[in-house]
Amino acid sequence: MASGLLLNRGVLTLGIHCQRVCRNVSVSQVREKKRWMKSYTHLMAKKLKLEGPPAPKPRSLQPQWDFHAEVQAFSSRLQENFSLEALKRAFINPCYLQAELERRRALGLDSETTALALKDNIQLSEKGEGFTKSFLSDWCRANFPRLRREGVESVVAHLTSSPVVTYVARNLGIEDLTMSAECPVPDDVLHSTFMAVIGALEESSGAEHAGLFLRDFLSTQLIGKDLFDMWTVVDPMGLLVEELTQRNLPLPEPRLVRAAGASTVLPPLVLCWACTATRSSWLRVRGRRS
Amino acid sequence: MTSRGTPSRFLQSVLQNGVGRYVCQLKRLSIIFSKNAQSSLGVRGFIEEGVVDYAKYNPSTVVYVSPQSCRIPKIVAEYLNGNVREEIVTSKTSIQISEVLTKLTNQSGLDIIRLRKPFHTDNPSIQGQWHPFTNRPPCIGPIRPQKQDTEQGLSNI
Repeated sequence: MASGLLLNRGVLTLGIHCQRVCRNVSVSQVREKKRWMKSYTHLMAKKLKLEGPPAPKPRSLQPQWDFHAEVQAFSSRLQENFSLEALKRAFINPCYLQAELERRRALGLDSETTALALKDNIQLSEKGEGFTKSFLSDWCRANFPRLRREGVESVVAHLTSSPVVTYVARNLGIEDLTMSAECPVPDDVLHSTFMAVIGALEESSGAEHAGLFLRDFLSTQLIGKDLFDMWTVVDPMGLLVEELTQRNLPLPEPRLVRAAGASTVLPPLVLCWACTATRSSWLRVRGRRS
Repeated sequence: MTSRGTPSRFLQSVLQNGVGRYVCQLKRLSIIFSKNAQSSLGVRGFIEEGVVDYAKYNPSTVVYVSPQSCRIPKIVAEYLNGNVREEIVTSKTSIQISEVLTKLTNQSGLDIIRLRKPFHTDNPSIQGQWHPFTNRPPCIGPIRPQKQDTEQGLSNI
C-alpha cells in the first residue's frame, strides 16, 4: 500500500515518535503521512549544502571506545610484546598536551592541581627514527650488496618519508590511537607517532624484534617499486664511468646490437654501452633508441 | 547492473599483508542489540554463550557489546584500512551469528565489489617480457673491440 510505504520511510528517517498519553503509559506510534517530513528533509539538505559535511570526530570521541583494550589489541594484533606503559606514552603527542592544558585553562581550572601527569613521545620518536634509519640502511646494504651508497640512502629516505610512513600507520590502526590536537591527524604528527611506536617496541622487546617489525611493514613497501623512481640520478653516464673505473674496466663504447627496417622512417635500433673486458668479466648496459 | 555500471577493483591486500607477518584486519566489532526485542533473541543467546570465547580466540579484535533500544540488531565491524561494515543479524540464531563473525574476521577490509581478475602478481615476467628481438641473432655479429687486441676479447651479446 502506498501509505504503508510512506509511513515506513518516515520511520526510517526519524525513528519512532514516542508520545506520552499519561504518566505511566507512552505510546509509540507512526500514523499517517507526516506533512512536515518533506520540508524538514529539504531544509536539512540545504543546510548540508551550505555548511558542508560535519567535521570528522576522532575515534576516541565516538561511541564504543576503550583506550586500554584498544592498546592491548594493537599490541597482540602485531604479534609483539609491547610494554603497555611505553606504548601508551608513544601515542601522546606534545600538541595534544598543549591543547589539553589550554582547554583546562579556558575552563578556569587551576593549572597546578590539574597538571597532566603525562609524558609526551618526543624522546621515543627520536630514538625510533634513529633506529629505523640505521636498521633500514643495514638491511639495504645486506640485501643489495652492489647498490651504491647514494642508492641505499635514497631508498632509506623514501621508506622513511612522510607519505610511506603515514600510509603504513593509517593501515595499522595507529591513527585511531594517536592523541593529537587536530582531527584528522596531520601527517607529521602521525609520522612521529609511528617512530615513537618503533622506539617503544625497541624499549620493550629489543632491537631484534623492532628490526623484524620494520622488515615486515616498511621494507615490504618496496614491492613493485622501481629503483630509479626513488633515486634520481643526476649524471647517469658519470655514475657508469665511476662504477667501471672502480672495477678496473675500460670506458664503455656505444655499439649497435639490433636493428630492424634500417631504411624506414623510424627504424628500431637497440644500442648497447659495451666495454672491452677480459674473458672472466664483462659489463654491459642497454640503451634503446627507437 | 552491468560491470561498467557497478564499481570494481583489482585483487590486492592491505599493506602487503602476509608477505611479512599476517595481521588480522578486523580492528573492532560492536554488537548492537536490544535487551527485550524478539529480533535480538539470537544475539542475546550468542552473548551469553559465545562472545567471550570469540574474544579470547581473537585477542587482536576489540569486542564492544552495546545493548540499546533498537528494532534491528547489528554487528558493526571496523577494519584496519578504515572501512566499516554493518551486518544486520535480525532473527538469526546464535550459531548463525558466530558464522557471521567468522566471516567478518577472515575478511580484509577491502570493498566487496567485483574483482576484475582473480589473480595479481608483482612479477608478471620471469625471463623477461617477449619483444620482437628476443631469440633473434644480432644483426651485426659478435661485438669486437675496435682496436684488435690479441689478449682481450669481448663477449657475445
